[in-house]
Amino acid sequence: MPAYKLTYLNARGGAELIRLLFAADEIPYEDVRVDRDKWLELKPKTPMGQVPILEVDGHVICQSMTVVRFIAREAGLLGKTLLDQARADMLLEGGIDVGKLFEEMVMEKDASKKVEKKKEFGEKTLPPFLALYEGFAGDNGYFVGDSLTYFDIAFFNMMDFITAEFPSALDGYCNLTKVIRNVKSVPGIAKWLKERPVTDH
Amino acid sequence: MPAYKLTYFNARGRAEPIRLLFAAAGIKYEDVRIEGADWPALKPKTPMGHLPILEVDGATLCESTAIARFVAKRAGMVGKDDLEEAKADMIVDGVKEVFRKLLTMFFEKDESKKEELKKDVFEKTLPECLRSFGKLANPSGYFVGDSLSWADVEFYNLMEMVRPSFPGDLLKDNANLAKVIANVGGNPAIAKWIKERPESAF
Repeated sequence: MPAYKLTYLNARGGAELIRLLFAADEIPYEDVRVDRDKWLELKPKTPMGQVPILEVDGHVICQSMTVVRFIAREAGLLGKTLLDQARADMLLEGGIDVGKLFEEMVMEKDASKKVEKKKEFGEKTLPPFLALYEGFAGDNGYFVGDSLTYFDIAFFNMMDFITAEFPSALDGYCNLTKVIRNVKSVPGIAKWLKERPVTDH
Repeated sequence: MPAYKLTYFNARGRAEPIRLLFAAAGIKYEDVRIEGADWPALKPKTPMGHLPILEVDGATLCESTAIARFVAKRAGMVGKDDLEEAKADMIVDGVKEVFRKLLTMFFEKDESKKEELKKDVFEKTLPECLRSFGKLANPSGYFVGDSLSWADVEFYNLMEMVRPSFPGDLLKDNANLAKVIANVGGNPAIAKWIKERPESAF
């Protein structure tokens, strides 16, 4: 069993999906959280000047989605066939723009601009995205085939952030609600959700 | 032998890395290019309302990077183990970040904002990317191991996109990256495709 060391800020942010994947398969790892000053010191030593980074077997991997795929494979959650993997990949890529718009809204410092962005997100961006993905999710509550893949967990993570601002976002979406339920009922994930540090983002 | 059908506009754009990979791997595929006028009828039939799409083995894939990764895996061009795959992935993710900034710049309508974005790409984004990538590429001119992977191809394609807006030798102090470009451009199958591919504005 290789030793995994994940480094990020003390936040969920771009690392939480990775932490959820470790948890799903109960893979032990060092969950390093650095403060801003320590981050600025560390930045030039990282491959692309960003976190999260994963250190394993003397190698450093960066880019959160790359680490996600790497750990997903370790956890047996990448997808059973190349086509399944491509399907999970495509669903993940398809959600990135929506995720970015949500992040922009949350990070908006100007209060009145934030209200505007929130309205736009809640009324124009989110509904078509959820309607589309409701169609992608099976009525078994899995996005790919008939078992859990990293994309189910990625969708859960994304909605975990989004429902903090839009609590009833998933009302009426049966398949998506089942996905959330399936992910939450993975024992390692349930345990992590109970024990993880509470952070604003 | 699976049949591959790639559909996109008559452009390099988001489909070109996929076409370059098919060429490098010697995989035959149908290279469908649609007219703008035909797009509205096709759009609702695509998984997410955009192109490119790849039809293969009865399935339809979308999202250009997901398609490229799938083709690269089928072609054995992702690296020989999970760590090499991760390294290739990391480079491609980095390429995408720059690509996104380029697109934002290309599509900005406000002229003064566009100039600002262009300045930012030229003075910050590109140099930082090339600096990190230069350290990650091997002296042999490959990002992963000692042979062509999709990371090399994606980087080559990015530099092709960058050049019209930022001419000049961006790689003059970056020997490893210059070698990556030479390796990709010098690959006989890729060189043949580049010579023969349809001309398009972008």
